Formats: sequence, structure tokens, C-alpha cells
Amino acid sequence: MADNILEMRNISKAFPGVQALDNVFFKCKKGEVIALVGENGAGKSTLMKVLVGVYQPDKGEIILRGKRVKVANPREAQKLGISIIYQEFNLLPYLNVAENILLGREPHRGPIMNVSELYSQADEWLKGLGIDLDPQTPVYKLSVAQQQMVEITKALSLNANLIIMDEPSSSLSGHELNSLFERIHLLQDKGITVIYISHRLDEIFEVADRVTVLKDGKLMGTLDCKVTEKSTLIRMMVGRTLDETYPEKAEIGVDRKEVFSVAGLSSEGKFQDINFKVHKGEVLGIAGLVGSGRTELAKAIFGAEPRDKGEIYLNGERVGIDTPNKAIKSGMGFVTEDRRKEGLVIGLSVRKNITLPSLSRIARLGFIDSKEERKKVKGLVRDLDIKTPSIDWEVEYLSGGNQQKVILAKWLTAMPQFIIFDEPTRGIDVGAKAEIYHLMRELAKKGITILMISSELPEILGMCDRILVMHEGRIAGELPSKKATEEEIMFLATGGK
Amino acid sequence: MKMRVFPTMTIFSGREFRISGEILRKHGSYIALFILVILSGIIQPIFFHPQNIFNLLLKAAPLGVVTLGQFFVILGGGFDLSVASLMATTNIIAAAGMYGRDEMCLSVSLLCLGLGILVGLTNGLLITKRRIPPFIMTLGMMIFLQGVRFVWTKGAPFGTIPPALRFIGKGSIGGIPLSVVLLAILAIGSFVVLTKTTYGRQLYSTGGNWEAARLSGVNVDRVIILTYIISGFMAALAGLLLTGYLGLSDNWAGKGYELKSIASVVIGGAALTGGRGTIGGTIAGVLIMTILDNIVLLLNLEVEIQMIVEGIVIIGAVAFYTARKSH
Repeated sequence: MADNILEMRNISKAFPGVQALDNVFFKCKKGEVIALVGENGAGKSTLMKVLVGVYQPDKGEIILRGKRVKVANPREAQKLGISIIYQEFNLLPYLNVAENILLGREPHRGPIMNVSELYSQADEWLKGLGIDLDPQTPVYKLSVAQQQMVEITKALSLNANLIIMDEPSSSLSGHELNSLFERIHLLQDKGITVIYISHRLDEIFEVADRVTVLKDGKLMGTLDCKVTEKSTLIRMMVGRTLDETYPEKAEIGVDRKEVFSVAGLSSEGKFQDINFKVHKGEVLGIAGLVGSGRTELAKAIFGAEPRDKGEIYLNGERVGIDTPNKAIKSGMGFVTEDRRKEGLVIGLSVRKNITLPSLSRIARLGFIDSKEERKKVKGLVRDLDIKTPSIDWEVEYLSGGNQQKVILAKWLTAMPQFIIFDEPTRGIDVGAKAEIYHLMRELAKKGITILMISSELPEILGMCDRILVMHEGRIAGELPSKKATEEEIMFLATGGK
Repeated sequence: MKMRVFPTMTIFSGREFRISGEILRKHGSYIALFILVILSGIIQPIFFHPQNIFNLLLKAAPLGVVTLGQFFVILGGGFDLSVASLMATTNIIAAAGMYGRDEMCLSVSLLCLGLGILVGLTNGLLITKRRIPPFIMTLGMMIFLQGVRFVWTKGAPFGTIPPALRFIGKGSIGGIPLSVVLLAILAIGSFVVLTKTTYGRQLYSTGGNWEAARLSGVNVDRVIILTYIISGFMAALAGLLLTGYLGLSDNWAGKGYELKSIASVVIGGAALTGGRGTIGGTIAGVLIMTILDNIVLLLNLEVEIQMIVEGIVIIGAVAFYTARKSH
């Protein structure tokens, strides 16, 4: 079609251990809002990173306004009129709004920056989108929603005619979302194409004209939003029923022993007055939007971040946990959200990573019993089916799923009775995900108590016996997982009463 | 549900490629040392004369000892600029305290080592608990100790070095310098600590990823503080060895050893960001630095040439390792 501003043809891209994109076609027209949906790991972000030149495709071509182009890097993409707004913004916090919008393109009078011109230009761009912001405000003082507006203005001022928004709504509240939609429609009126990445279906029906669905790196199809049912879309995205992926849940009786509880836990500006109990062998889920205080809560429970008030009880006894070391000694484990930054010492071997939290168990007078260590590690590598050429292989070279299993093995050596999992399947492929789920459920069956934080609603629904939903640092409600739905969780997570 | 079967080649992609690079990275300092020794012998045959080897090792001992301490600190992700100033301070204390009397040798030496531990403890506590960057903390400590020295001696150090300490710094038993034996014992001890004990494992982990180590229950502050204590102790000991070697008191004894020790560690293949490096490589680094000095002297070149060569070698070593890593 002649009015296709962009066509991506036969795009394939592989990473070690996963085919991220497999022969994907993607088209969009001038002035339309096209949504790109799919579960985590479906390939949405990878496809967009190929488009803006962060990744080079293994195969395939990109046709922009009828011409074949090669996007070597993000700068090139910008020159071609493609801008991307990432979930984490790329603004400089100590510069003001105007300086951020016109960064690198400041108006000059000779060698000197023309400050008054800078502000008036920025102001014009902002007004063009009906955004009420003082161009002289430093960006760090702005809310997340306002920063997003600055990003959109910046993209527009770069003369972009194709703007990609990666999960733009992930931390917006209701009226902020409406305001975002208004801007998107304004962009549309100016003839700009918007690619809107999200996994929130309601939003998509509200804002998009068409929707393209990806699953496991493959194109599932493109639908017209006006004539499509939500259920059709879900079937395309998921392509499987829940019990195919998730292990069977445990029957939780009332006589279960209470293993872990917190009372009145608070930390200024992060979370307030958190109370909950978890029983032996139970998987308790914590759902909520990014920024709702879930990770901060987990870290405070584990003694990794300070808290202001509240008590933690393990097996009915109050425990004074203020360092991770004490948490581990009292029987806790913590699978962190970020594997590379917080979970693994990336340059060390599988063996050395696995025994790190439990060195004292395999040491005598400070000397490590290396025979004992090897035996223990080999056993775990076999039990968890960690795919590594040897236990002395550096974890850096394992796939994401195997790295996650190394982290799990690491906590098992410390023999915990209570483990916190923060986004346990982030960034790992579908096969490895199912393995992690089964391992978690097996642990629960063995009597280990699990607290699972996740942003993926299907995962929360599929794995947890009970679900707590957090909103702005508070527990907004509790749902039994058998009856809970994604809608109910989202309703609570976005502050619905 | 469909399970993805990983083709082995994609999980471990680049393995074959890495191996030759890995060998160079792990053993680069030994290869460099070997080539340097051969080259030195060819350029100046006197290099292999037993007396020269003896002198060379004698000179390497104090630098070796202080570098071992520096290596612990760098493994933990910091570095210690106060070591040279600490060496000079122990030199002044030893001369003034011993005043040529052998019977004072032990007690004053212990005092110096105690001072080293105290300085290290102070560095470590302020760096971990008050979050002062290692650069600022140890730079401040270096200047502070310098000031104390000058105030105390009024710029003119006094006292003399007793024969016992001179023997430790310069003497030999059966043709082997005593200080070199000491260095060997300390190096072996450090090797054992780093590879066989929980402390060594925790130090590599903390240097490699501070946050992951902390969340795995490692008492990261204690691990880091101990590295500075070890560094302080080693620097004080190196100061005593150097004092015995020089046989005089000098406000600037050991000048430049803070940078030389860091350079030796880096040439030995350790990462300045922490978590990577070996004792063997570090000792090779010390020998490379010392041989470079030695060969310049043997060739009757000006001492300043030494600096030019050393500068090039340090930058070259780091360029080599970073180029390897990015593969």
C-alpha cells in the first residue's frame, strides 16, 4: 500500500538461547496509532530496538516511506524521523524542561547560547501540544507523567513523524492516562504515526486504530480495533490455557501453620502500614504497578533497606532483621528482580555463586571444604537441571533462565523456610519460565513458604494461592486466586475503590 | 506446552573464541615477565649475574609486601593512596624509636605495625560507614601522615637504624635475602587466604558485585575494612623492610610506592573495578616494575628514563587487558 509509512519485512533476530524475533512483518500507516501487544518476552521491545538501530536484525529489511533503509544506530533513526520514548526516560534531571527538549540543538547567537530564544522555542513546542509546563523548571522536580510530556515534546521537536512509546502507561494514574491519550490524538492530527507498546488491553481499545500481536517472537496477526473483541485478542496473545503452563496449586487448609507475618511495616515515602500473613507451603502473590512499593517492601523485609516502623514475625516469634545476613540466618531467601545487578557475581563461576550465602555451612575454621562444596553444587545443578558445561563456568555465559536457576540453587544451599521471589521470570524465555514455575511449586510442596512479586498478571493468577494488591505503598486489597481476575487486580492496583 | 531445546552452540556461543583470549588475559603478566627477563638478558648480559639477581630481589621485597596489601584493597574495589606516606612514617618512627639499639628493634617494630593497622582501620571505617570515596579518604590520610611527620621531626628526621633491622632489610641466609623469604611467606599466606578461605571468597564476591554479595548475606563492610587493615599492616611492614634496606631515616622514604604498588597490581592483571586478579599475577607485576628499574640502571641510562618506560608500560598493560575483555 502506498500510504504505509513504515514496513518491516521478514525481521529475525536471535540472542543466545532464544529466537527473539522470527520472520516478523510489521506495517504502519501515516497518522495512525498502532498498538503492539504481547506478553513479556514476546519480542515487542526487540522489534522496536531493531527499528531504532539499537540491534541489527539477523535477517529482514526496513522500508521507510517506500525506500529501503539501514538503521545503523539510534542517531541514524532520529535523522530518519523515528523517535522512541523508553519506559525509563532519557532526561537529564538537573537540566530544565527547555534545555532537555532542545538538548544539542540549543539556539545560538554566535558562540553563545541564546537563552531567551531557548525558552520561547520550548514554550512554543509545549503549547503546541497543550502542555502546561514552565520551561524553566528543572526536570527532577517533575512528576513521572510530566516528564513523559517533556519526552513527547522533545520527540516532536526532533521532527519525528514516527514516535514509539514503550509501555507509556506503566506508572500513570487515571487522569494522567487520559491526558496522555489526548496528546497522542493531537500527534495523530499532525499526521504523526504512533506505535504504542503495552500489554494493557483496555487502553489499547481506547487509543489505537489497529493492533499487532506478537507471541514468542512470531507475528500472530494485525487486527482492526473497532471490530475486534477483547477475547479474540487475548487468545492471540496467550495462545494457551492457564493450566498448560502453571503447575497445579496446593490445597490450602485453615489448619496450615502461619510461618511469616508482618505488622504495621512502614517506610517513609515507600510503603505504609503493611500487614499480612503467609502460611507454610503457601505461595502469596503481591501484584501492583511498577513504583507501588513492592520491591521496596521486599527489600525492607529482607533487611536490605531500612524501615521506620513495624514488626516481622517468623514462626510466631519477633525477629529483628536489619541486615540481609540476619535475614538469611533466620531462614529467609531473596530472589531479586535484577539478576545481573543484585543476584549474581557475574564474573564468578556457577559454583562460587551458588555457595555464597552458605559458605559457613561448608567451611571449617574459615577454610572452605572444596570436596563438600563440589558435591553440593553438582547435586543442585543436576536437581534443577542447570545447563552449564561445568560448575566452574562463569555465570556470565549462561542463558537468562539458567542464571535464574543458579540464583534459586544459591538460596537452596542456605536452606530457607521462606523465600521472596521478585519478578522471578523477567526476561527469560517461555520454556525456562515453566521450569521456574514448577520448581517454585515443588518448593512450596516441600513446605517452603513463598512470597512472589510480579507485574505479569497471568503469572500472579497462575501461580499464587492468594494475592495482595499494592497501590501507592499500601495494600489495596486481598483476593483469593481462584476467583480473582486480571480486571479485579488492575482495578485495585490503579487505586479503584 | 512447548519446551525450547537450546542448541548447545548458541548458549555457549563464542567459547572457542574466548579460550585463547582467556589464556592471554589470565597469564599475560607471566608471559610479559618472561619476555622481559629474556630481553633484559640479551640487552645487558650482566642482568643474569647472581649479584644483580640478588640486588633485584632485595629491591623488589618492600614493593612486593606493600603491593600484596594494595592487591587486597583493589580486589575489594578500592585503592589505598596512603601506603607510601605510612611507609615513610614507620621509617621515621623506627629511626627515632630504635636509635641504633637492637634491643628496641622488636618493640618499636610492633608499634609501627600497630600504627599500620590503626591507619588501615581508620581508612576502612570511614570508607564503609561514612561512604567517603577511597580516593579522597586515603589521599587525605596520606597528607595527614605527611603533616604529622613534618611537625614531629621539624623537617629533619633524627635517630639511626640498628644493625638488627638492617640485617632484616638487607641481610641474607644461604644466599637468599631475608626480606625475600618474608615476601614469599606473605605471598603464599595471601594466596591461601584468597583461594581457600571464606574470607577470600567473600572478598572476590564483594569486589565483583557489592550489592549481590550484600544480599547474599556477606558482611560487606567488614570485608572491605579488613582489606584496608591488611594494606596498612603490609605498608608498615614494607616501611620497616625499606628502612633496614636504606639504613637511614628519610622523610620521603618509600616515595611513589603508592602509585608503584597500584601499577604493579594492574600490570598483574587485576581489574581496578575489583573482583578480578591473582596473587601470582600481582607478584609478576612487582617483578616487572622492579626489572624495568634495574635494566635502566644497568644500561647507565638516566633515572628519569625509568619513569618514561614505566608510564608506557602501565598504560600499555591496561590497554592490553581492556582490549582483551571487550571480546
